[in-house]
Amino acid sequence: MRRVSLSQGGRIDRASTLHFTFNGKRYQGHAGDTLASALLANGVDIVNRSFKYSRPRGIVAAGAEEPNAVVQLGSTEAGQVPNVRATQQALFDGLEARSTNGWPNVQRDMMSLVGKLGGKFMPPGFYYKTFMAPASLWMTYEKFIRKGAGLGRSPAENDPDVYDHLHQHCDVLVIGAGPAGLAAALAAARGGARVLLVDEQEEMGGSLLDTREHLDGKPAHEWVAETRQALAGMDNVTLLPRTTANGYHDHNFVTLHERRTEHLGEMAPRLDGRRQVRSRLHRVRAGRVVLATGTHERPLVYANNDVPGNLVAGAVSTYIRRYGVIPGRRLVLSTSNDYAYRVALDWHDLGKASGREVVAIADARANPDGELVEQARARGIRIINGSAVIEAKGQTRVRGARVAKVDLDGFRVVGEVETLECDTIASSGGYSPVIHLASHTGGRPTWRDDLLAFVPTLVKGVSAAGGAHGVTAIAEVLADGVAAGRQAASDAGFEAATVSLPQVDAIREGAACALYQVPHEKPTLRAPKQFVDLQNDVTAAGIELATREGFESIEHVKRYTAMGFGTDQGKLGNINGMAVAARCLGKSIPEVGTTVFRPNYTPVTFGAIVGRHCGELFDPERHTALHQWHLEQGAEFEEVGQWKRPWYFPQDRPDAANGERESMAEAVARECLAVREAVGILDASTLGKIDIQGPDAREFLGRVYTNKWAKLAPGRVRYGLMCKDDGMVFDDGTTSCLGENHFLMTTTTGGAAGVLEWLELWHQTEWPELQVYFTSVTDHWATMTVTGPEARKLLAELTDIDLDREAFTFMDWREGKVADVPARVFRISFTGELAYEINVQANYARHVWEALFAHGEKYGLTPYGTETMHVLRAEKGFIIAGQETDGSVTPEDLGMQWCVGYDKPFSWIGQRALTRPDTSRTDRKQLVGLMPRDPKVVLEEGAQIVLDPNHAIPMPMVGHVTSSYYSPTLGSGFALAVVKGGQQKMGETVYLPMADGQTHEADIVSPIFIDPKGERQNV
Amino acid sequence: MSNIAVETVRTFDTRTEAKVPLESPLAYAYRRSGAPTPTARSRVTLRERPFLGHLILRGGAIVLDEAVREVLGVSLPGEPQGLVHDAEAERSVQWLSPDEWLVIVPGGEEFELENRLREALAGAHFAISNASGGQTLVELEGEAARELLMKSVIYDVHPGHFPVGKGVTTVFAKTTVILRRPSETRWELVVRRSFADYTYRWLLDAGEEYGIGVARSPRPAASGDNP
Repeated sequence: MRRVSLSQGGRIDRASTLHFTFNGKRYQGHAGDTLASALLANGVDIVNRSFKYSRPRGIVAAGAEEPNAVVQLGSTEAGQVPNVRATQQALFDGLEARSTNGWPNVQRDMMSLVGKLGGKFMPPGFYYKTFMAPASLWMTYEKFIRKGAGLGRSPAENDPDVYDHLHQHCDVLVIGAGPAGLAAALAAARGGARVLLVDEQEEMGGSLLDTREHLDGKPAHEWVAETRQALAGMDNVTLLPRTTANGYHDHNFVTLHERRTEHLGEMAPRLDGRRQVRSRLHRVRAGRVVLATGTHERPLVYANNDVPGNLVAGAVSTYIRRYGVIPGRRLVLSTSNDYAYRVALDWHDLGKASGREVVAIADARANPDGELVEQARARGIRIINGSAVIEAKGQTRVRGARVAKVDLDGFRVVGEVETLECDTIASSGGYSPVIHLASHTGGRPTWRDDLLAFVPTLVKGVSAAGGAHGVTAIAEVLADGVAAGRQAASDAGFEAATVSLPQVDAIREGAACALYQVPHEKPTLRAPKQFVDLQNDVTAAGIELATREGFESIEHVKRYTAMGFGTDQGKLGNINGMAVAARCLGKSIPEVGTTVFRPNYTPVTFGAIVGRHCGELFDPERHTALHQWHLEQGAEFEEVGQWKRPWYFPQDRPDAANGERESMAEAVARECLAVREAVGILDASTLGKIDIQGPDAREFLGRVYTNKWAKLAPGRVRYGLMCKDDGMVFDDGTTSCLGENHFLMTTTTGGAAGVLEWLELWHQTEWPELQVYFTSVTDHWATMTVTGPEARKLLAELTDIDLDREAFTFMDWREGKVADVPARVFRISFTGELAYEINVQANYARHVWEALFAHGEKYGLTPYGTETMHVLRAEKGFIIAGQETDGSVTPEDLGMQWCVGYDKPFSWIGQRALTRPDTSRTDRKQLVGLMPRDPKVVLEEGAQIVLDPNHAIPMPMVGHVTSSYYSPTLGSGFALAVVKGGQQKMGETVYLPMADGQTHEADIVSPIFIDPKGERQNV
Repeated sequence: MSNIAVETVRTFDTRTEAKVPLESPLAYAYRRSGAPTPTARSRVTLRERPFLGHLILRGGAIVLDEAVREVLGVSLPGEPQGLVHDAEAERSVQWLSPDEWLVIVPGGEEFELENRLREALAGAHFAISNASGGQTLVELEGEAARELLMKSVIYDVHPGHFPVGKGVTTVFAKTTVILRRPSETRWELVVRRSFADYTYRWLLDAGEEYGIGVARSPRPAASGDNP
């Protein structure tokens, strides 16, 4: 290995040595290195194999735009992180990284044989064309294709680190802390605005960290340090380094991905023994946004421009000046502009003693004459006017550059080709403003001929500063940043502060020329590969072929070739690709237009996206006041909305010595019989409860329920059905009259919030004149249903309420004390048995519940869960909104005409819809009961019902099962179902063909299976 | 009594004078997740103020203002999102929506307060609902309290935007809370009972990096001890 690291210069700490491994080999680097700079310093040329052709690839860039050095991090399975750009990963001691492609390894790759042989046979659309048929085999092909390609893998073990979100609000969000961003942040902050300044790099400063220029006669990084310090000292400024603005969404909502510990180690180190957040997603609501995102330099597109040793020009300067690393010995620069000359100057100024030489500068312009050009000339560097590198020589490292005069307008090589011996080719085709974030907002960028670049089209509330909109001279960039910061602050309502800027000597710059794809002696389709998009292996020939095959829209070209796909998002290649398409189509670049850049700008780890919304905090669990008791009793739980409700309470089997518990069927059968024969208790606290007060409360109820409320007296309870305006049932429950102007409504557990919104909606928009208020009291009350033949005797032991059947009749409510606690007791029944629903303030729930058990043992008091509740109510034919109904069921379909006040004076919600011919059809699906012929059969819920099981498939379906259980009381399975015209089909036999080939037979019966006269609940 | 409100609306004192054990909405959360003791390194401390009296007042400001001032000794907040306290800082009224207010008073005062308000408001259109069993008050204090809130609520809690005397209903993780700022150093969350455990676990998890501690009230949980 040759050490090519400079012994001094750059912003790395040579006193610290960090060890790391890459593809299993050990290397050393320094604090301040990125993985990329450390690899270059160790002379590692090949960092990856390309995605499609498996060609050896080296480091090309120094920042987010790096297309090749995408690595997999992690020394452990749980620590695997895919998709990391080596240029953005700070080096830490013990870092382990591997290439994402290449088998068995990147140096000696088997797939490259396929790439070489198959290269000609793998044009764009290769997979579409080759693996189209038979379509059923695509899934098989895909597995092998993915294995062959691949861009990293996700870990197979849980990530031990923690991630989170932070909600940020600011007046001005400045994205990018280069010269424009620092100046903008300073200006906005001095005006008093709350400023958030974010930068994706390890260190703020952007281009100032590697510029040759001086500010106030001092190295630029000194001004960066001063400014950074000034900003850090202001309490209205938040600085976020290592933070990428990855998505710009509507209404100035920007998501930032902050990597908090990724530079410290593979796992987040503990601080004071506590876990630290590894990576954080900031969700920012910004008043104004300043995009100071700078530019990405465009490489030129020439033959074999992907061989390791071909770099974007500016990256070479960055590695030399910032990291003290020279990525080679003999440099050839191919450029279309002045600014790239600094690379040759930086390289040359290392001195002959360093063994470095600038072989030549191929300048595509006929007469370059800017100040930097003159500096290069003065140093005796050979400049070849009107020329470009047309082809790189070498396999695993550049060995030479073929340079020729080029006719830009004619797109052809003119004259002799000269081969220059070199190991590094730096190329520059100009500077593209980083417009990705502006594109996220939907603004199509605008082409500017004077800049040879797209500039962002900005929506309201956002501005661009510096390179991001084509301002590149440092003095102008600083002034532009100040102007943007001042404007943003003043737009946000703050004063426009003055900021004094450092003196910078202007550099006279010559005009650039338009050069994207460099012509070759051979036509594009036959020349060696000229790569446009290195990450997706898209070549100029591929784009040309796409246009020949009729893909004229750039969006189609993109999808056909995969240009700018995935994590790359076209950072280096998109403009060049458009230029190639424009050339082939005989159009200009603005005519071809650009594709849309999408979030995320660079990959965001799933951990940051998820934050702490995972594991136990993935979704809220709602608990009743009795949850702890249910846990202690070993209840199994069912999720009802977000509530955890006891499903059933399995007991130890008396016959099993090993503590084996009942099955669900056994537990439910036991609980059902306890309620029918003795007494059971249910935690019904989850039911929605709405306190309704006001002189028009009764009138309002009459309008939102289908049935009548005019005569419900205080002390009485009534069941009600609610329809949407389409006449379809959407919720039900009981409502009690507490006082003439005071009602307590109950709703289904899942419908509570929706019903309250529904009431508010109709009150606020349709009937604001009604004097009534609704307040949710769901959580205030704990509700315990004591039900069964022994319920009265049990409750009588604990209450001062007169439970006499004449004094406290069915559908009455009374208040008094239960177990010394004030309680409202409602005599309503969802089981068909004698039942009392006891409501107490929830803080007392456990005391009252336990008091009931203290007295209940002698009566056989049995806790039951939602499954038993379902069986018992279905035996009585009581519906559950959302189970028997699905938004297409009317009260009449349910046979609940008794619950519809057809002659109510005011047109209640749903009334008109129920007068439509469609809702009075006699062949609508109607609620019925089903008794399977075989009592052991429990029909499947959702099973389709047919009248003729011998009918050819597809059979006409006449309905489906809505609820089905085994009833220990009936000693048989039974079901509720909806059947077309079912109410007229009592006694008929229907059939239920199942997926496994059997067909069940069942008889249509009344949906009320037990106690049709309701005598049991009325005792 | 002769006034219409009391005749037509059934008020009900849900508290008992009997000595029976009672459990705050966080009782289950303490059992499940524990309560880390605050230390000198805790940058944020959580403290529940259980068993307070919570009333929801519905009615226009003009209808309610005089009665509230007369009975409670404080004016209704003059602005939306306002929060006002009485001189002892023990009773508060908070704007929730244009005709909705949250009144929090020491536990046991709420029923008498409701009756006195009803008397004072006789003949007006209003509603009062007792929510004391359905929610609890959680205080956050410490230098990291604001950042902990930034992790949890979408609302802007910067002091410039959330001064003392403000209160809002906002999204908290995947639920909602009422968030109030009664003093420079203290934040209050009014948490619904059924979401209390989720909220508590979230705060403990998000507060770990600040060494969050939970200050438990030494008061025994029996209703007879209420003030």
